[in-house]
Amino acid sequence: MVNDNKLARYDIDAIRHCRFDWMINKHGIITLLLFASMIISSCGKSPQDNGTQEMVLYSALPSKIRGLDPGDIGDVLSATVAGQIFECLYQYHYLKRPYELIPQLAEDMPEVSADCLTYTIKVKKGVYFTDDPAFENGKGRELRAEDFIFAWKRIADVKYLSKNWWIFDGRIVGFDEFREYTKSCEKAADVDYSRPVEGLQTPDDYTLVIKLTRPWPQIIYLLAHQPTAPVAREVVDYYGKDIVSHPIGTGPFILKTWHRGSYIEMVRNPGFRQQFYPTEGEPGDAEAGLLADSGKRLPFCDRIVWTFIEEDQPRWLQFLLGKLDSSAIPKDNFAQAVDMSQKLTPGMKERNIHLKTFRDPDTFWIGFNMEDPIVGKNKPLRKALSYAIDRSKSNELFSNNRNDLAYGFIPPLMKAYDPNVRDIGISYDPQKARQFVRQAERVHGGKLPQLKLSMPGTDTLSRQMGQFYQRGFEEIGLDVEVEYMDWPTFQDKLKTKGAQIFSLGWIADYPDAENFLQLFYSKNVSPGSNNFNYASDEFDKLYEKVITMPDSPERIALYRKAERLIIEDCPAAFLFHRVAYVLHHDWVLNYKPHAFQYGLSKYRRIDLEKRGAYKELLKKSR
Amino acid sequence: MTTYIIRRLLYMVPIVFGILLLTFVLFNLIGGDPAIEMAGKGATAETIAEIRAEYGLDKPLFLSWDSQFINHFKNALTFRFGRARDRELITDKILRGAGPSLSLMVPMFFGTIAISISLSLVVAFMRGSKWDTLIVVVCVAGMSLPYLSFILFGQYFLAYKLGWFPVFFSHDLSTARYVALPVIIGILAGLGSYLRFYRTVMLDEMRADYVRTAFAKGLTTSRVLFQHVLKNAMIPIITQVVLAIPFLFLGSLLLERFFGIPGLGYLMVEAIGARDYFVISAMTFISAILYVVFNVITDVCYALVDPRVSFD
Repeated sequence: MVNDNKLARYDIDAIRHCRFDWMINKHGIITLLLFASMIISSCGKSPQDNGTQEMVLYSALPSKIRGLDPGDIGDVLSATVAGQIFECLYQYHYLKRPYELIPQLAEDMPEVSADCLTYTIKVKKGVYFTDDPAFENGKGRELRAEDFIFAWKRIADVKYLSKNWWIFDGRIVGFDEFREYTKSCEKAADVDYSRPVEGLQTPDDYTLVIKLTRPWPQIIYLLAHQPTAPVAREVVDYYGKDIVSHPIGTGPFILKTWHRGSYIEMVRNPGFRQQFYPTEGEPGDAEAGLLADSGKRLPFCDRIVWTFIEEDQPRWLQFLLGKLDSSAIPKDNFAQAVDMSQKLTPGMKERNIHLKTFRDPDTFWIGFNMEDPIVGKNKPLRKALSYAIDRSKSNELFSNNRNDLAYGFIPPLMKAYDPNVRDIGISYDPQKARQFVRQAERVHGGKLPQLKLSMPGTDTLSRQMGQFYQRGFEEIGLDVEVEYMDWPTFQDKLKTKGAQIFSLGWIADYPDAENFLQLFYSKNVSPGSNNFNYASDEFDKLYEKVITMPDSPERIALYRKAERLIIEDCPAAFLFHRVAYVLHHDWVLNYKPHAFQYGLSKYRRIDLEKRGAYKELLKKSR
Repeated sequence: MTTYIIRRLLYMVPIVFGILLLTFVLFNLIGGDPAIEMAGKGATAETIAEIRAEYGLDKPLFLSWDSQFINHFKNALTFRFGRARDRELITDKILRGAGPSLSLMVPMFFGTIAISISLSLVVAFMRGSKWDTLIVVVCVAGMSLPYLSFILFGQYFLAYKLGWFPVFFSHDLSTARYVALPVIIGILAGLGSYLRFYRTVMLDEMRADYVRTAFAKGLTTSRVLFQHVLKNAMIPIITQVVLAIPFLFLGSLLLERFFGIPGLGYLMVEAIGARDYFVISAMTFISAILYVVFNVITDVCYALVDPRVSFD
């Protein structure tokens, strides 16, 4: 065997020089040709180089959107995209802060009865749905008040499976009965949408009357919330379940292409009514050039293209190449964009990139399941866990020190935010945490068992954060096992009250602290939004009182009182409120970040010359 | 041959049944309730119940003619996969994703095969030389590097720094343009393991008597390598190549995700993440069918390239 091998080796060595050069050359040439053809085919003009004067807005979406049927929209990204197509009765003023509502499809602000139970809203005349085969002769018809009622009845229809029933649950006279009626229907097709609802009436085509079961001051915000946008019945009948892919609204843009998981392209709605850029803003807006287009007709852009880019690297590189107009700053590229003083780096300034920061309306926490026999019954234990989390270090490690540390659940963006909350809120204090551990052991009647923290993700960041919390708990002598799970599993655990300690947050639907308070209301326990399963008579009474109150200093005081109650009972360790850092190129005009960013593309304008100049700058830098 | 093929196709019946049973049981054992996540943040018990009813999740698992398993079975066999959780038809999703996935995977796969087989012949021919050593070292290094590093490096230098390729998909680009870089990266990343495998196969053949005889008869090197050695090395090559073809359909998660290719790799992983059982089930079923069919094709190919293999 050995000899055979030697012989084979000898033979191969002896003959390998014969025609080898020819082989190398031939294969090399083929390979080179293959590569060259690929490279040549891949070089060429980018979409922005097409030489037209068309104004196109290029943006990225960090994840896939779930749908464009307003009644079923439950995530911020879908609402952001759908907001260009669908409009609501009200919208947030683009420039004014604090956030202020102004009419959109409504003629004016609602007329509210003295008992605050009846809202009369005049719907604008001359607003048309965009043309679509669903309408007679393919021409979009005029918007009527009944289109709102139809859209809301869809949400109430249990067969439609909307995520948004929480908006109307128990609020409108006779609407809960309508929902009960839909439950009795065998099939979705059996539901009769012409069935009257006492609290929803249209005396004429342009008047909408809403009767409430009890005062509900937040209704105005929800009338600016995407799920309450009007839907034409003809479109629902025409497309059936495929309506998710055929959004037909009254907004400034029309969906041209939605290649799911890839990109969305919208074009300007040629029939969009006259709407103008705001003429007033807040101090500093004029100096920042944000009022330069005052009074000009909207929208400015001809097209919008959203590309789904989930990974940070390609999104960041596309932005630097000028193929995206704006971008968030990936954690790993933060130092490249922002220096230690939180200002733009010289490299970014050379590229004429601008930095904008704004507060998100959110709060993140480590939550405790109050129905859990260990954690729920042991307040000192919850306090010990809360004191053991080094929020500053976490902010530095995972967020480049971008976020505001949280001491309560009301974010600084809200009017009800209490600047003194840090005096009573919990911050990192391992000494205090150890004292609470000793108290917790007394309450428990011995050594505490191993605890379980559920993290909503299996990615690297979730694991790093889980390990960070675990280490903090270990330092005060607590044994905490961290479980990493995908989002559906995590949701399953929360909704079935199976999570003991969990990491979660809440992004407000509207700028009213009530949206946070409801997270602690005992009637909302899992599978509702109260994932803490927190129940307190005192808090409930306060909540029930405050939700019917109009905006006033007294209401703010009660919000803050409710927050203090929660801080004291400690169903959660509040961690941070996000502060968004956004970069945009100088060719994007009228760029003002907005926490409720629905339908903002109509305000943006592109300076095509500056965009062209950036390409020249890039060429030179190469 | 026809009898053989029919017999093999009949074997598919229990295999397909087993696959359907296994995916169904696994999903129901491991998975939680998909209706809860679908119901959203303000979920009510009644909405969750309606979602279960809408998707047939309220029916008995097995012991009924209208059970979830029987429906799962019927839908799969008729290729009527229904709607995904985002209410889009699953067949639409699959048909839309198949093109981009295949346009990435087919050139990448056949490019890797062609280059690795050609190079393996050369390397086997030069066995023991410094070129052989160098290529083996490069192959091992390539195998040791994570796939992701090829992607990050390629995207940063070849696309961003040098501007030779687009960094990411754009709807205005032709398929060839946005697929070029991921294909090259896929070929380079996969070359090491393929080349090492084929080198071993080729070396075994190089030592055979018929090679010496062929050279002794005065045949040219290329004729000996490409006509004789390659043909005799075909059995392991066919096994690897043909059985890998069904997986081309599944796409490549990382490449698709980093370069924005709207293919099936991403669809599958996204469905797993979102626990979209309906999409997972459809994709698993199609992949399984393809795998079984290509297994039969592999066996037929054996007989075609090797006269010693008979259909009996």
